[in-house]
Amino acid sequence: MKNDNIVWQLLRKNVSKGQIVGYAVANFVGFVIVLTAIQFYQDVKAVFSEEEAFFSKDYIVISKRVAFLDAFNGNVSFSEDEIDEIKSQPWTSKVGSFSSANFKVSVSVDFAGRGLSTHLFLEAIPDEFIDVKPSGWHFDPIQKEVPIILSKEYLTLYNFGFASSRGLPQLSESVINKVPLRLYVADNTTGHVDVFDAHIVGFSSRLNTIAVPQEFMTWANDRYAPNVEKSPSRLIIETNSPGDPSILEFMKNNEYEISGDKVDNGKMSHFLTIITIVVSCIGIVISIMAFFILLLSIYLLMQKNKEKIRNLLLLGYSPLQVSRNYFMLIGLVNLIVLILSIMVVLVASHMWSGHFEMLSSVDSSCVLMVMVAFLMMTLITIGNFIAISQGVKKRFYD
Amino acid sequence: MISNISLKNVLPRVFAGSERELPVKDSQVWLRELDFTAPNSYLIEAESGTGKSSLCSYIYGNRHDYSGEILFDGENIRTFSISQWCELRTRAIALLPQEMRLFPELTVKENILIKNRLTDFKTESEILEMLRRLEISEKTNQLVSRLSVGQQQRVAIVRALCQPFDFLILDEPVSHLDERNNTIVSSLIADEVKSQSASIIATSVGNKISLPFSIQISL
Repeated sequence: MKNDNIVWQLLRKNVSKGQIVGYAVANFVGFVIVLTAIQFYQDVKAVFSEEEAFFSKDYIVISKRVAFLDAFNGNVSFSEDEIDEIKSQPWTSKVGSFSSANFKVSVSVDFAGRGLSTHLFLEAIPDEFIDVKPSGWHFDPIQKEVPIILSKEYLTLYNFGFASSRGLPQLSESVINKVPLRLYVADNTTGHVDVFDAHIVGFSSRLNTIAVPQEFMTWANDRYAPNVEKSPSRLIIETNSPGDPSILEFMKNNEYEISGDKVDNGKMSHFLTIITIVVSCIGIVISIMAFFILLLSIYLLMQKNKEKIRNLLLLGYSPLQVSRNYFMLIGLVNLIVLILSIMVVLVASHMWSGHFEMLSSVDSSCVLMVMVAFLMMTLITIGNFIAISQGVKKRFYD
Repeated sequence: MISNISLKNVLPRVFAGSERELPVKDSQVWLRELDFTAPNSYLIEAESGTGKSSLCSYIYGNRHDYSGEILFDGENIRTFSISQWCELRTRAIALLPQEMRLFPELTVKENILIKNRLTDFKTESEILEMLRRLEISEKTNQLVSRLSVGQQQRVAIVRALCQPFDFLILDEPVSHLDERNNTIVSSLIADEVKSQSASIIATSVGNKISLPFSIQISL
């Protein structure tokens, strides 16, 4: 070890502190930018993914635009061809149809001492598109009990619009689940009315409707409106590239309307992705430049130490024994840069997470960021080591 | 362990094309078959510019700008890897370069230890004893850059002896030494070579080291 001390004592004399510090600072800045972009992306993603699969997949509900004349001929449903066309789009992974009830329905409830009754519409979509999966979500014609999923919006409308203005109690989801309902279903041809027990089993933030199980809808349409065939007027699309601008263009060209603000969210995610990529690229460019600054410094150092290295090799030192001293220096600098940049990004992430906590309780992970940091630094260090050992080996022969 | 170094038709690349001219024409080394065999000692006498330092570098493996073959116990040294050379340079061949190649920014002691710690061959007291014999022990902790050329040459000699060797190559070892110091240095080298049962290949342009050479060759 003492042996290396003399060698290092000899070699370090030409090491320029300024160059090493310059490299370290440049590389640190590059790293912090890349890692911040990655960590920010992760954190923001975590906030949104709690509500919906915001980035990986998304659901869009579309309908046809109701034009002035459609009010008379009522042709706002999707044909088989149109559905096939949507299915064939590159951004579509699945398409589901809303099937609506072709019979008349009303519901009544005994509630707070009063009996309320109202006409109603029902829709059904395939189970795979429903975001909530409450227990009891099926229909059995013998038991005649119908589970219902309501849009969360309706509950909000009732609680903050209707109930507060009428002096009615505000209701939580769990209370509503316990309220017994009666569904009155009227046969289209005979006018005969059947009564079903019904209860609300869940609230969906994805579906803006009153949903019943597909089994019930199929069974009831066959039974109460046997001769009516209706094409779906609303479709739900699962897309694997939310925010894809071609979705919007397709909808516009075909005069389809998208319900809700899903597309805005999609745009936002698309925008965030682009920003992350741009910022990461800037960071990577800075890191690459820092890497070349160091390579240049190494070559300069090798050039300045040419004679010393040559003499050491002449004494019988192996190129590795000589290079090792430089490896230790560069390795140490890189390690410090790595640790500092990860620490800075973690602190920054902690600071901005404070703002996100209002939106979400989900903790995001920093594993990806740390992994990227290690990977990048490993590559840079390997590049440095190769440059050093080649610089030393070159001096073996006069 | 090397017992034989043989040169077969070796010619420095700079002499290519002038094979029929001096100094190649009359050389006993270039374009000849020549064997250095242990435990004989060889003195190669030459005028300057005839390529004696090149010959030392070829044998020591840090230059290969020559045609022909150099063999260590029958093995062509061009085939040796860098790690084989490093092993040879710490265990089998020692070189005292003409330009000495000391590190001026290190002290006398450090210059010697940088070699000895690689070979772990001499104890610190043995090194001090050698310095004392060469009358530079009081310079042990001085920077080499502060020494006279003659003193530097003696430091380089001590450093060259800090390793086991079968062949000791001395490229003009006493060019900067006076008669008295030549004698002192020669006796130190002779003792070391004897104790290691090694061979010497020395070169000289004029000032010869006072050793009993068995064979004299003119380059």
